[in-house]
Amino acid sequence: MKTLLLIIAALMIVSVWNGPLAAQAKILPYPINQKQLPNGLNVVTVQFDSPGLAALYIVVRVGSRNEVEQGVTGFAHFFEHMMFRGTEKYSRDKYNDVLKSIGAGANANTWFDRTIYHMTGDATKLETMFEIEADRFMNLKYTEHDFKTEAGAVKGEYTKNNASPYAQLEENLLNTAFDKHTYKHTTMGFLKDVIDMPNQYTYSLEFFNRYYRPEYSTIVVVGDANAEQVNALAEKYFGMWQHGTHLSAVPPEPPQDTVRYTHLENGSIPPYLGLNFKTPAYSDQDINVPAIDVLNAILFSETSFLYKKLVLEEQKVRNLSGDMLFTRDPYLSSIEVSLVKKEDLQYVKDEILKAIEDFKKNGTTDKNLIETKSRMKYSYAMSIDNPSTIANSLSTFITLIGDPESLNRMYALYEKVTVDDLKAAATKYYVPSGLTVATISADAQGGVK
Amino acid sequence: MKTLILTILFSAAVFAQPVIELKQPKSNKIVMKIRFANGSIADPKGKEGLTYAAAQLITQGGTKEMTYSEIQDKIYPWAAGYNVLVDKEVTTFTFMVHVDFLDQFYPIVKGLLLSPSFAEADFHRVMKNQQNYVDQVIRASSDEEYSKKALEDLLFRGTNYQHKVQGTSESVTSITLEDIKQHFTNAFTKNNVTIGIAGNYSETFLKQITSDLAQLSGKKFVSSKAGKANTPDGVQVEIIAKDNAFGSAVFTGTPLAITRSSKEFAALMVANSYLGEHRKSYGQLYQKLRETRSMNYGDYSYIEWYNNGGGNMLPPSGVPRSSNYFSLWIRPVQIAKQLKNQYAELSGITVGHAHFALRMAIREVDLIVKKGLTKEAFEATRTFLRSYTKLYVQTPNEQLGYLMDSRFYGRKDFITEVDKELATLTVKDVNAAVKKYWRTNNMFVAIITDKSEADALAKSLKENTASPMAYSDAVKAGLPKDVLTEDDIVATYKLNIKNVTIVDSKDTFQ
Repeated sequence: MKTLLLIIAALMIVSVWNGPLAAQAKILPYPINQKQLPNGLNVVTVQFDSPGLAALYIVVRVGSRNEVEQGVTGFAHFFEHMMFRGTEKYSRDKYNDVLKSIGAGANANTWFDRTIYHMTGDATKLETMFEIEADRFMNLKYTEHDFKTEAGAVKGEYTKNNASPYAQLEENLLNTAFDKHTYKHTTMGFLKDVIDMPNQYTYSLEFFNRYYRPEYSTIVVVGDANAEQVNALAEKYFGMWQHGTHLSAVPPEPPQDTVRYTHLENGSIPPYLGLNFKTPAYSDQDINVPAIDVLNAILFSETSFLYKKLVLEEQKVRNLSGDMLFTRDPYLSSIEVSLVKKEDLQYVKDEILKAIEDFKKNGTTDKNLIETKSRMKYSYAMSIDNPSTIANSLSTFITLIGDPESLNRMYALYEKVTVDDLKAAATKYYVPSGLTVATISADAQGGVK
Repeated sequence: MKTLILTILFSAAVFAQPVIELKQPKSNKIVMKIRFANGSIADPKGKEGLTYAAAQLITQGGTKEMTYSEIQDKIYPWAAGYNVLVDKEVTTFTFMVHVDFLDQFYPIVKGLLLSPSFAEADFHRVMKNQQNYVDQVIRASSDEEYSKKALEDLLFRGTNYQHKVQGTSESVTSITLEDIKQHFTNAFTKNNVTIGIAGNYSETFLKQITSDLAQLSGKKFVSSKAGKANTPDGVQVEIIAKDNAFGSAVFTGTPLAITRSSKEFAALMVANSYLGEHRKSYGQLYQKLRETRSMNYGDYSYIEWYNNGGGNMLPPSGVPRSSNYFSLWIRPVQIAKQLKNQYAELSGITVGHAHFALRMAIREVDLIVKKGLTKEAFEATRTFLRSYTKLYVQTPNEQLGYLMDSRFYGRKDFITEVDKELATLTVKDVNAAVKKYWRTNNMFVAIITDKSEADALAKSLKENTASPMAYSDAVKAGLPKDVLTEDDIVATYKLNIKNVTIVDSKDTFQ
């Protein structure tokens, strides 16, 4: 019977149509239930029409951003690996056996601002999921040998990623764009620190003690489960988790005053140009945040003037895009270009900057703005057709400010953006003093002024 | 159960073309999948990459009524989208739109499929990118993906399955706009199309799309017979040497006689999951190579093609194949140069971990063939798969895709059917299937590695030299005795290597 239920579940999962999207009050058409336990752990439940299926996400607000000490870049990610090394009650093998018996899709990933542990599977196994997760979050135990061994797997991951020139450039870009803030290094970390990881066992114990605490964490359940049930499980299994004392102090980035450059000599891929402007930290109260996102869509998406000119008409460019990541601290908005010929690098850069300057003066039409907002809204509405996607999207906003409702607030803020806001955001943030130019070509120097 | 039966409708008898329906009246969107039974095996000789080029030009071009740019402008506010996936035997166009805009979106869908503009300027743009992919991207972006494609190049050499769907450097140069137009008429026809639709659509809409697609070319499409994988004489290794590779990326494979259409496939699924379930830590390969010895990021095994394994956690639909092979994926392991840089105690080594890793992975297969799964391992793996396979179809897009793939294999609903097959399976069935289908004596191996590693690795493989595992002192000191004992066995484990060649990266896929 259980199997049958799961089959039906798999076939019945849909994102519900609640009438025309324009009439919807909140972008997420399902209530977000939240309960904070006395130890500071936040518990979030979204009931979703996926009979027999549920996603459990645990968001820990620690990532490479927290790697403030010298020589430990990449550590948050390394620690994510260590979380699979077992406890006294559930050794690594026993944990694997339980996971296997649940038949869930389970994994973890780390980024600048957070580490996420997730499982999607049979909703009737939710209690087992809570039990094994609570156990490792509270009682993780590994030997120094396990620690040194796992360091090899992390080096393997670095090795795999390093085959891509884009990954190599990203490492250089962050190192160039930032001086003090920990966004200076990728989540993978600097190679010298990855190599040194086996020697950091003591620091790893401190890391767990600092950050794997209820006040840094949020549990998210989306799917065939109600808030009452989820809250009860959270209290039962995570209620005794001890609040910690560590306050993370991330050094602020001093203002940049001039254009910076970084270049990778590599003729094995098409020439590449990245224009990376410093942008504000995420906030659902700062109109500049959605304004820059909308601005990027208007200036660099497939319907933009620049795309039509450079990609479709002149065909000097293979691909053009502009993206700003939502981050806890000021980061970068990146305009990325893959070119046909390296000789056009300067021309393409000039064209992009010309388009930005033109926008600062003349803005765009209201129609263009309305259509861009519509696209963002419909794009999100169509994406939320399964528990994992919804849980993942809530996790983004939990990461940023600790509150999943920020998702709804941010989409409401998008609605308020005006053409003047776009012009103001471009004028404030798309400036030479915030720019880092990143290039890849067969030449020894980037050669872009 | 009634819901299930009502939900999936196979309507071949009602319409001129086969239709696969998945009605979801509560959904906020509609997914349409228009599949043509052509794929890259339909490419004419010398024009490898033509099916891919045609499909790209349709999705990256305009219609008789609208240019590409006008289409993008129109669908932009709806966030409607479409893409195409070309594989060896099928090409699938997927269109997705919110219910609010279906009526406005559909004429564009119809225009793209029935009257693509095939404009000269779009053709040049699309072909430039395709040429770049075959010339540069495949060699320079991911050594893992490179090794996988290099393995297929070996397995299917001399057949219509050999070339990448994007073609080769030489063949892509020769593709003309006229070739594409002709190929569209010949290979994208009403005689080889299947219509898939999921979501919140009406009967009237379904009638509309089916009657419109009856206007596709009426040419009789004769499908090519899919080339079968070659069985090598012994283990044949191709080492591809490139500049500045950080590690050795390894893929090895051997022909497999059955596919999802076989009743024995479920038995092999259990054995394969036990050996190396994709991106799971439970598999033997992962446990031995990564967890215990930390040689790399992960190690997995496959009994069918797995698209974009580096990016996907669950097997995506849209790549059904009738020619099959069994393969092992060893993610990049350390080369001597890197190990020497990191550990002073390893300064004397000449070969990194690749030889040992290959020996260990193949030995794991041999152990399963020889000893079989225990009853406990079988039960645990079967239980896992009976839940896990349901996760393959979490979205309407994948539900529809899997139903369409099921058709390719002569099934109705693979996910439901395989669950029943798993339910009645015994450990005896699994162990018998393994003995019957898995071979390690005759395999192809593709290794992408650094130029500094190639010669020494080739020599070591060719001469069957002992390849003791090169641990750092710190790791070695803490390893249990049974691990070290097993290492000694693996270090001299005999592989049936008959030939090793070194190819320069620039000379691959010619």
